[in-house]
Amino acid sequence: MPLVKVPKPDFIQKLKRFFLFDLLKGLGLTLKYNIGAATDKDSVAGKGIYTEQYPKERPDVAPRFHGAPRLNMDPETHDTLCIACNLCALACPEDCIDVLAMDVEVVVAGKARRKKVLDEFIFDTSRCMFCALCQEACPTSCLELTQDFELATYSRAGFVWNREMLEQGRETVKYTA
Amino acid sequence: MMMKFSPLLFAPINFIDDVLLKVGFGQHTINYVVWPLIQIGAVVTIVAVWVAYGTYLERKISAFIQARLGPMRVGPWGLLQPIADGIKLLTKEDFIPEKADRWIFFFAPYIAVAAAFIVFSVMPFGPDWAVITDVNIGLLFVISVSSVGVLALILAGWSSNSKYALLGGLRSSAQMVSYEVSMGLALIGGLMFARTLSMSSVVTAQASDSIWYIFYQPAGFLLFLISGIAENNRAPFDLPEAESELVAGFHTEYSGFRWSLFFMAEYAAMVVVSAVATTLYLGGWYFPFVYKLEAAGWHNAYVVVSALVFIIKLSFILYLYFWLRWTLPRFRYDQLMDIGWKWLIPAALINIVLTAFSVFLVQALDGWRELKTIEDMSNGLNLTGTGKVLMIVMGIVSLLITGGLLSFINWRSRDFNLKRQRRDIRLVNLPSGTSAVASTKTTAATTEA
Amino acid sequence: MHQVEIATTQETLLDSPQMVLNMGPQHPSTHGVLRVILKLDGETVMDLDCDIGYLHRGMEKIAENRQYPMIAPYWDRLDYIAAVSNGLVWVETVEQVMGLDVPARAHYLRTILTELNRIASHLLWLATHALDIGAVTVLLWALREREEILKIFERQFGARLTCHAWRIGGMINDAYDDFETDVRRFVNNFPKRLDEYETVLSENRIWLSRTVGIGVISGPEAVAIGLSGPALRGSGVAWDIRKSRPYAAYADMDFEIPLGENGDTFDRYLVRLEEMRQSRRIVQQAIDKLPDGPVSAKLPKVVKPPAGDYYHSIEGPKGEIGCYLVSDGSAHPYRVRVRPPSLINLQALRQMCIGHLVADVVAIIGTLDIVLGEIDR
Repeated sequence: MPLVKVPKPDFIQKLKRFFLFDLLKGLGLTLKYNIGAATDKDSVAGKGIYTEQYPKERPDVAPRFHGAPRLNMDPETHDTLCIACNLCALACPEDCIDVLAMDVEVVVAGKARRKKVLDEFIFDTSRCMFCALCQEACPTSCLELTQDFELATYSRAGFVWNREMLEQGRETVKYTA
Repeated sequence: MMMKFSPLLFAPINFIDDVLLKVGFGQHTINYVVWPLIQIGAVVTIVAVWVAYGTYLERKISAFIQARLGPMRVGPWGLLQPIADGIKLLTKEDFIPEKADRWIFFFAPYIAVAAAFIVFSVMPFGPDWAVITDVNIGLLFVISVSSVGVLALILAGWSSNSKYALLGGLRSSAQMVSYEVSMGLALIGGLMFARTLSMSSVVTAQASDSIWYIFYQPAGFLLFLISGIAENNRAPFDLPEAESELVAGFHTEYSGFRWSLFFMAEYAAMVVVSAVATTLYLGGWYFPFVYKLEAAGWHNAYVVVSALVFIIKLSFILYLYFWLRWTLPRFRYDQLMDIGWKWLIPAALINIVLTAFSVFLVQALDGWRELKTIEDMSNGLNLTGTGKVLMIVMGIVSLLITGGLLSFINWRSRDFNLKRQRRDIRLVNLPSGTSAVASTKTTAATTEA
Repeated sequence: MHQVEIATTQETLLDSPQMVLNMGPQHPSTHGVLRVILKLDGETVMDLDCDIGYLHRGMEKIAENRQYPMIAPYWDRLDYIAAVSNGLVWVETVEQVMGLDVPARAHYLRTILTELNRIASHLLWLATHALDIGAVTVLLWALREREEILKIFERQFGARLTCHAWRIGGMINDAYDDFETDVRRFVNNFPKRLDEYETVLSENRIWLSRTVGIGVISGPEAVAIGLSGPALRGSGVAWDIRKSRPYAAYADMDFEIPLGENGDTFDRYLVRLEEMRQSRRIVQQAIDKLPDGPVSAKLPKVVKPPAGDYYHSIEGPKGEIGCYLVSDGSAHPYRVRVRPPSLINLQALRQMCIGHLVADVVAIIGTLDIVLGEIDR
């Protein structure tokens, strides 16, 4: 192994090295942590134990978290806010979204018009990379990525969500004990 | 073996004794066959439970050092975790590699466990009936039987029929053998004060002298401990286990119960080294005021409290094992062997010479100008106050001399020459260049060296 | 499985045959799926070859079929440990090619979050490097600091690891409400934590024995191979793109560049620790000087850069990460090529390892700080 240039030590450093000072320093810090964890105190950040006990304590998820998708509905009329504009499907890099629209007859100002409404909304969460481009593209703030991150299912088909699952949300078992 | 039973605390023992007499065993048989079997059963159970909960303690202590909690789910505070682990390991598929040597593969873990557990038969947990048997060559027995464990490693590595397991096993066993030399030599220093090899007599020597031999022999204690840690393949000397040929070393091909036997053997060996260190250097079951219990007549309580004292001292050294593992990085294999042969063995030899010189000095000064240093030589080397002070000073001086001589021996070694600890990093302020623009042709980057 | 030719470079002792050892793609210490084929004489490495490609996902080909804003989330998956800088290189390339005027607030926020990202990447490097060498506790401590940064990322961007942080033209969301509080708290606590790591490692004789003189590469050799980042600065070459071709708000920041001396593992370790301190200093300055204003420039509806070849690079945590963009004027790029710093740093592995022992190979791979996501793309 090649030799490298190392500066010469002075007397105090030689003494420290003789008495294993470097090893004892590290051991002292570890002991401090051990006692700090047992008493749940830490000199820097206050908490001696840093971990969360996950299934018992639910984690603190940020409001902007890119989690499971949801189709929002109008709070008063309980109609979907989706106008079937297909912008989310066009924005998605992975082609996870399939928006199926249908035409319905409505009467506007006395004349019969045809309006496009949402028929079915297919979202494949197994292909999704949760980049939120669809959420940004939606003009009516209908498609939103929520804070739900527990998306595991037992089958591949369970990953493909239809409109009902997107609106109601999926029933997951929350293990708290 | 005379047993005095205090009726208050130990009525069941009297009862069993009476039942056995009635059944037809002679008193002689009861004393020498039945009770030892009961003691062996008790010790094996206690050690097995200890080893299992040693894994639990390791996980908890490592977790606290790392600011997390460790096992918490299985039972309150995770206390049933070792049991869950045991059940898991027992129910795993037990497969033997195709071309492996079946019988050796089968026996190797048992040899390891046996070697680790047999040592407990001479271990002095307490004064009277807390020792299974007190052989008068106790320390020699301990060292030689624990050496048998190395055989298990070699057999395990060989019989696995795997390149990596073989090389890992050979490395581990080479390491263990090298450090056994210094372990044995380090003990000799303490023996010069105890003047006997029997484990219980070592403790009574310390008791009658009212001192722990660590004060006389700091160098010996450190040497023994470091050699013991390396002997057990524990950090910072655990390269053969951690990355040896990039797999798990000699126990690569073992799974399920057999693997857990190796694991148990490792933890039991840790307890053995801690127990021997406690006995020889930390005073064993002796603690200054516990004798008052015996003087007051509570004999069995005295024995139990002494056993507890022994276990507490052992736990301190066991904690040292965990503390060192989770703080220090590990040595590379060649550095490890360097330390064993070029540092610890010379240190042990120098320690023997210097201790012999100190004992000679103390004996020579006894009676010189009315200076009485030795009180009694029947039960180990008992010294007066003056003698003790002299010996403690000599202990510290010999530690310094050992350190100095070792540095002198190794002054040309590469690792010793890494003298300066921290090298300052140069901080350079470069002039700011032009702002980045995505260039349309790739320009050559200019370097300023 | 492709056959690998390893040329014999040195004669073995006692004419014994060399052993070929495969540090396979599944290995705890190779930081991803890297296959290293070692030719050993006993324990000394005679020759070394790397087999990569186990994580190839065809990102550059995918990019040819996506529109410009859609490519940014894929770029996070390159160096998945430090995703924010990857996003930055893509977004800055497109912005500069299109001549967009990104507001100052966006530049400052980019600087803050990219430097936090650098600290996070170096913390993970320290964690895995110390783990490989045996100090397991440092892994857990460094991950605890990294957790703080990931929490800030989660609250700001919505994801911890693959953040999709930047959009072409700036950012999509302004800093969240407690952003300044969180960043300042992190900045206050961090130096004491760094001192804790130094206490356990920097003067520890075991650490010194394992890292001093291991994996030495000299300054001229490093420049010849094309190393960048801390690997280059550990050898004493003063080159940092944040200084020589400043991007984002770095031109306004006052910081220094740590340079090593010997080019060994210990120097790179010290350089990265010092870089974390300098990054913290940059974050402190930027959060003090943070201007108000919008965070995004106006974008055309479809992003169509003018045709041509462009190259832009930034100083990522692992080295110079660059993006070579060939545009044909349409909404999809014609060709995108990533300059992966880890791949080019990996070329030095052979030179650094020959003559060392097997246990050192692990330390050297750790010190080069490679991420297979970048190498294989």
